[in-house]
Amino acid sequence: MAPKIAKLFASVAMALVTTGAAHAETLYVATGGSQNMVDYVTDYLGPLFTEHNPGWTVQAVGTGPGDAGSQAILEKLSAQKDQDVWDTDVIVVNQLKTAEMVEAGLLQKYRSDIKTGDMVTSDVSRKALGTDVDGFVMPMFSSQTAIAYNPDMVEQVPQSLEEIKAWASAHPGAFGYNGIKNGMSGVAFATAWIYAFGGDAAKLIDGPYDKADEAGWDQAFADLKAFNQTVTFTPGNAGTLDMLNRGEIVMGPVWVDMFYTWQADGRLNPNLKLMLPEPGMPGQPYYYAIPAKAAHAEAARKFIELATSPEVQAEGIVKKFNWYPGIDAKHLEGILDQASWDKLFTDVSPEDLAAKAKPFPLGAYFSDLLEQYETKVSN
Amino acid sequence: MISRKASLVLVGPALALMATLFLLPLGYSLIWAFREEEADRWGLGNFAKAWEFYSADILFSLVIVTLSTVLIGIFSIAIAGYLTLGRIPWAVALLRWLYRWPLFIPFVVAAQVMRTFLAKNGMMNNALVELGLLTPFQTASFLDWRGIVITFVWKQTPFVTLLVAGAMASLDRSMIEAAQNLGARRGRILFGIVVPQVAQTLMVGLILSYVTMMSVLSVPMMINAQQPTMLTVDMAWRINAYGDYGVANALGFIAYLMTACVTWVYLRKELRERGAHAR
Amino acid sequence: MTSLLRSGLVGLALALLASAIFGPISNILLWAFTEQWYFPAKLPQAFGFSFWERVFRPQGNAFASLLNSVVIAMMTVAVSLAIAIPAGLALGRGRLPLRVLFLLVFLLPQAFPSLAVHMNIARIFYTLGLNGTFLGVVLVHALQGMVFSVWIAAAAFAAVDPQLEEAASNMGATPFTVFRTVTLPLALPGVMASAIFVFLISLDEFTGTYFVGVPDITTMPLLLFTAAMEGNYQIASITALLLLVPSIGFMLVIERFLKADVLAKVGH
Repeated sequence: MAPKIAKLFASVAMALVTTGAAHAETLYVATGGSQNMVDYVTDYLGPLFTEHNPGWTVQAVGTGPGDAGSQAILEKLSAQKDQDVWDTDVIVVNQLKTAEMVEAGLLQKYRSDIKTGDMVTSDVSRKALGTDVDGFVMPMFSSQTAIAYNPDMVEQVPQSLEEIKAWASAHPGAFGYNGIKNGMSGVAFATAWIYAFGGDAAKLIDGPYDKADEAGWDQAFADLKAFNQTVTFTPGNAGTLDMLNRGEIVMGPVWVDMFYTWQADGRLNPNLKLMLPEPGMPGQPYYYAIPAKAAHAEAARKFIELATSPEVQAEGIVKKFNWYPGIDAKHLEGILDQASWDKLFTDVSPEDLAAKAKPFPLGAYFSDLLEQYETKVSN
Repeated sequence: MISRKASLVLVGPALALMATLFLLPLGYSLIWAFREEEADRWGLGNFAKAWEFYSADILFSLVIVTLSTVLIGIFSIAIAGYLTLGRIPWAVALLRWLYRWPLFIPFVVAAQVMRTFLAKNGMMNNALVELGLLTPFQTASFLDWRGIVITFVWKQTPFVTLLVAGAMASLDRSMIEAAQNLGARRGRILFGIVVPQVAQTLMVGLILSYVTMMSVLSVPMMINAQQPTMLTVDMAWRINAYGDYGVANALGFIAYLMTACVTWVYLRKELRERGAHAR
Repeated sequence: MTSLLRSGLVGLALALLASAIFGPISNILLWAFTEQWYFPAKLPQAFGFSFWERVFRPQGNAFASLLNSVVIAMMTVAVSLAIAIPAGLALGRGRLPLRVLFLLVFLLPQAFPSLAVHMNIARIFYTLGLNGTFLGVVLVHALQGMVFSVWIAAAAFAAVDPQLEEAASNMGATPFTVFRTVTLPLALPGVMASAIFVFLISLDEFTGTYFVGVPDITTMPLLLFTAAMEGNYQIASITALLLLVPSIGFMLVIERFLKADVLAKVGH
């Protein structure tokens, strides 16, 4: 009762403010991820959608970073499973939880119904950490983690995880990361650690799943536990950037897009630099998906079509928010100016990315990795 | 006077709300702690997992909260004692005005305030460096267990002090004055005469603070969400990232046990005394 | 000489205490108006209002959170008073068997870590469809404030002189008229105090809203939390400042509302 009334009021109020259109409708978007993703929908994509579709407004709800944020959307959808119409029209979720949602039958296939559907050919549009999600998703963007550092305080920049390990023990407290409970940049670092020291990374990424591959993890996690004694823990993805800016740490894993956005915003010291260490660090896309019983599925498709159009990918995703595009890069040629494109690769070159940008491991390995981090490293 | 029946009717809605919003979920939390969803059976599995994953955090929570409680007790006795026995009128007046400021500041605000204040290059270290008491290389971040303890003490001391100072103010002054006339030192008066008489109020304040601190989520999340951290962070993490109510409730059960010991002492004493009053 | 030394020492101790209390608070003020503050600058390099504009931009969620917070707090006060006034009347004036036990029941939520209860309330509310609704959040806040609203109301009613009521009823007033014209007006300052208390508790409540309201309902404390976790120190500090004002305001006036005679009866 109460939420319906509240929503009614909200949509009526919005309609009065924005347009005088005869019928006003609201598209509900739930997005996981950090605040910049909520801002992207509220400040950029939402108004643009209203412009293209008079009478529609977009209401965005942010559910927070990391697995927890996407899990919140998963729970929201499962809670409504038995109802005929669900209250969320478009969701933006990470790979692990998208895979779970597809398996639980909470999403609908739509990619072949939208014009931009064939503009993605990358692996991530078909598989999410080993689970088949073909047709259910469109990548919103891809992003990459890297190591940010303050060149004024680091004489010899470590080039591999091995060297980072040595550097951190020589400079206690100067390396910082956010563990695994508050955002994915810390998870990415822990994953990179296992890729570097835990055995065959390619097997973890491509499968098939075999518990025996985790034999080398014990030693790697024991080393990570020792390594953790010499680092500073930060309160989150943003917390790492923030502590870098405040000079409280000198080096730490961050999301490349957040790093550039903060610099453009004046929130981060312009001197700071990025690098992608050997043997590589993970990155991930976020997906647009439509819940199986979304109330406004038609509008949701239009919304995603707009969001994955070359113009929006160029202007919004790359230029304004510094993400790598979700659709294939060739579709952006001629739309995006060279300078904006080059800006994405200021510190991390396309060659670096080709060699050292890795996906997260298969879902089953990934869950084991997170669990063992808790039992063997943090406890 | 209102009749018995009418009284029961009047108190009814409040009790009903208590039953549905507190006793029911409390009961559920106790039951679900023993439910192993995946194996579809009852048992101690959740507790084993909770211990395997979070034993360090369980001990950490206990130590942090106990230490904070002790410090709150010391500071509140000191402040309330000076308010009662202080001889410099302006200092007493100033202290009375001063100590209460954090009283109603919410934990989430206190955490944010402290996060920027206690950081390595936060205001506190900057000020110490400016005063020449530290060099920039000696500064250290307090955003670990110390940050949590400092925030708890900063936020909860005024509450306990308010209670204790109130109790001290209502004491019979004649005994204190007699002791003063005999030339007793103020420290002896405070611990020999005043504190024993307000011990119960102090206990109540400390127990309430202990339980409150045991269930604060925002402070450990914002100041030190990493290893080791407090149980509340782990409970939220199990639920938010995994939807794992079993282990979360097992951790809740452990938190109940840690508070039950102290609250039991209080409830028993309270019941005995009030029972005596009623008769 | 020794007294001068003593004054000096007391003054020093007070100055230390004052900086421990006001240092962190003034820090928030600084951050709220900071535009740029890179390490190793000791003070912000640029001050301004641009983050205030960002917080209160029309599309942003600060206005919505502020409105939510105030609406929820007022609804919580209404719900709390509706149940606390009759309960307070019964506990303060009535003839309840086992009155002590009844009083202690309301204290119970303070005796258990609330987070463990909140997460199960959220689970129950999910099945009832109350998660993410105003009603759900209001109920959780009302539970948090229950011990204060009921205890203070009971103390306020207990402090009313029974002889005045008797006088009124001797003049032929019905029990309800007595309550409306004598008891309630006399107890009003105490009831007001309990209302303010509940308002403040609801305004500041974090854990319950975190489990029951999120992500659909965002209140000021949650906005502050998100901003802080996202490293938006300015936005977090602005929100913190907005929450500080009512907290400190209430701290400064509490004694006007909670008179000694009522205070002495709280929990008795």
